[in-house]
Order: sequence, then structure tokens, then C-alpha cells
Amino acid sequence: MRGDSHALQMLGSLFVAAAIVATVIAIVTSEFGPTSVAELDARDERRDQRLDRAEERREQRIELREERREQRGG
Amino acid sequence: MEELVEDLTRGNVTEVKVVLASVVAALAVYQVVLMSIGYGKLRLPFLGSGPASSAHRAIGDTIVVVTVVVALMCLTYFGLEEDEAVLHAVSGFALLGVVAFKVAVIRWWHGLGRYLPALGITVLLLFAFTWATSAGDFLVGGAE
Repeated sequence: MRGDSHALQMLGSLFVAAAIVATVIAIVTSEFGPTSVAELDARDERRDQRLDRAEERREQRIELREERREQRGG
Repeated sequence: MEELVEDLTRGNVTEVKVVLASVVAALAVYQVVLMSIGYGKLRLPFLGSGPASSAHRAIGDTIVVVTVVVALMCLTYFGLEEDEAVLHAVSGFALLGVVAFKVAVIRWWHGLGRYLPALGITVLLLFAFTWATSAGDFLVGGAE
């Protein structure tokens, strides 16, 4: 009986240690942000789309400005 | 060896090192709590001194293995050339030395057993300092 109690208490202590390990891994990895390839690719894709849209808007503005200049000149 | 470390961590050497170092640092704190129960300084109704000491020994063996792995990763991948990592390297080597001495006292040099509490506290402080000068720096300052 005493041996059972010893083993049970030791197992409980080891279980607490495992919980500490899992908690630390969760906290530390959450500090790193996304690390999966899919998430990083999606982030790159979103950034590229944002840059493309900004470029399109810039070109439209330039075209509009040139059109106005031509209308004023002609 | 450098390539093996990079392959095993899939290129995330620093991140894996930070996670492992944080895990052993947290377990080192838990070890002090367990040994306080083992020495009877802290009394809990649900955990006796015998089981606490046994758990301390089992977790300690695991910590030693993980610490040696982290140290090898550190030495083979990052080396010792960076000036700012001198403190980290010194505390890391001191940590390994004190841990090795503590293990020798537990296994063979039983006459020095009265120094085990002091050695345990020294190990905890060295774990905290070594973690703070590397993983802590990385987590607070971010990857550079």
C-alpha cells in the first residue's frame, strides 16, 4: 500500500512537470508568431496583394493626372 | 554537426534552443520546490518527502540530458566568437561544471552531501542567468 502511494505521488509530481513543460512550450512558441509554412506563405501572399493594389492605385492616379493635363492643354 | 543541428531543427535552431532552454529553466524552479519538500522545509498534505525526492531525481536526469543537448547545439551552431555572448558562454560552462559536480556528489562523493542544497541553489541561479542572457534576451528583444 505504501509503495502504491509513493508511486502515485511520484507520478503526480511527474505529471505536474509535464504540465509545466507543455505550458512553457505554448507560451514561448506563441511569442514567435506563425511558423508554419502555410501561414507564412499566406502572409507573404497578403503582403504582395497589398503592394499590387497600392501600385495599381498609383498608376491610376498618374493616368488621371495626365488625362487632366491633356484636357487642359488641348 | 552544424548541418545535423540545422536539419533536426528544420532551420529554426534559435527558436528550438529558446524553447528547450525555457523548459529546463522552468523545470529547474520546480526542482527547487520538489527538493524543499524532499528536505522537509515545505510540507504538503498530498506529497511526501520520499516521492518528491524520487521525482526530483527523475526530472533532474531529464534536465541534464536536455541541457547537454542545448549546450551542444549552442557550441556547434553558434560557437564562441561573438563578443556579446561571453557572459552567456561563461555562465553556460559554469552551469555544466556545477551540474557535473552535483551529479558526482549524488552518485559517488556522498561525503560532500551536505553541500547539495547550496549546489542546487547555485544550479538554479546559473540556469536563470544563462537563460536570461540568451533565451530571455531573444524573447524580450525579438529575433535580429
